[in-house]
Amino acid sequence: MFTRRMTLEWVHGAAAFALGLVLLGASPNFPFLRTLVDLWGNVLAVLEYPAVMSREFLKDLYFWSRDRNGLRRQLEFLQDENAKLQITNSVLLAEQIKAELNARMEDARVTLREPHGWWSEVRINKGQNDGIIVGLPVFQNGFLAGRVNSVSSFSSWVELLTSSSLMIPAVIEEMRELGVVVGDGEGSVLLTYIPKGRGVEPGMKVSTALVSEILPPGIPIGTIESEVTASDSGYMTYKINPGAAASTLYGVSVLKHSRETMR
Amino acid sequence: MSHAVFWILQDMLAVLTADALQVSEIFLLSLTYSLLTKDRSAGVGVIWAAFAGGLLWDLRWIGIPGFFTLSYVGVVLLVIWVWNALPLSGRTSSVVFFLFWTAQLLPSVLFLLVPGRGLGGAGWTLFAARQMFAVPLSLLGVFFCERHKKNQNN
Repeated sequence: MFTRRMTLEWVHGAAAFALGLVLLGASPNFPFLRTLVDLWGNVLAVLEYPAVMSREFLKDLYFWSRDRNGLRRQLEFLQDENAKLQITNSVLLAEQIKAELNARMEDARVTLREPHGWWSEVRINKGQNDGIIVGLPVFQNGFLAGRVNSVSSFSSWVELLTSSSLMIPAVIEEMRELGVVVGDGEGSVLLTYIPKGRGVEPGMKVSTALVSEILPPGIPIGTIESEVTASDSGYMTYKINPGAAASTLYGVSVLKHSRETMR
Repeated sequence: MSHAVFWILQDMLAVLTADALQVSEIFLLSLTYSLLTKDRSAGVGVIWAAFAGGLLWDLRWIGIPGFFTLSYVGVVLLVIWVWNALPLSGRTSSVVFFLFWTAQLLPSVLFLLVPGRGLGGAGWTLFAARQMFAVPLSLLGVFFCERHKKNQNN
């Protein structure tokens, strides 16, 4: 049953609906519609300002986050690429050094070893014409065997590590202790001037210390074999097991100067 | 006055989620709540509030006066009709939920007909996304109605 209130609601509802229909029908031809829309938009702009600002902030936050992730990915990619390039560079450098060393290594044959100077020197078949100069290191099996001490046009004399007159500054690699490698003239090689109580043990590696540009540091000489003597002044002498076999010297290699050093 | 606050809140949410989401009909939710809880003499006022709110929404968002006006008035009339047609024993929570949900659904369906925003564009996606918010909002409406009924009984 319809009450007065319900009738009123339906009358108002019908009126509002009808007015809505009129508006909808008339809106395309309504002359001030755009002005009205703009006006209402301007009024609301004040109220909507916080929402607009929040939206811009959220948008910026989103783009910042996206850019940051992108940059992080790019950074990881570049770091990875950098690591690979460093490895490539190291390999290339090692290859370059190897090629340079190969180019500087001059193989020579022992042509004379006099019995009275058996442990002192040998003659090789390479001389000044092959780029040999005094002081160059001579190797056997990759270990220092001696140094060139005189040169002629087609041959050179090499003073051996076992010679008692050849002294080469050396270092014990494990402890960076400095000493001098010298021969005893009877086939043995000694390491002298090592302070007592430094914990030198057999098997430790001995290589050249920085002497000059002709004899670079780090050239392997051999390993500590045993303790020989201790002087009163507090220094020890050790016997070295040389890498180069002085008793079987048939062929050796001479490390020539690089072109840069020659200049 | 409270309807105006809800209208502004809905408008601000629409600005905040512009182009990303179809904002829920919070304004209609408040009108429906008024119809279901307040003194029934408020019905006439709610009808004209729906008319004004719809007209202002049209002017702000689609520029076609009458579009949402009709929709809002239609929803309010539907709620009045259903509510009046039901006996007191039939005004259950599920009916209340249905009315709230209808108030969310009908304008969404109409929004699909808006030129350039509805069926041709991302209308269906926005419509589906809007329905995800419609159910929780309707449940919230039911909760407040039940609380109001309980307070009145006490």
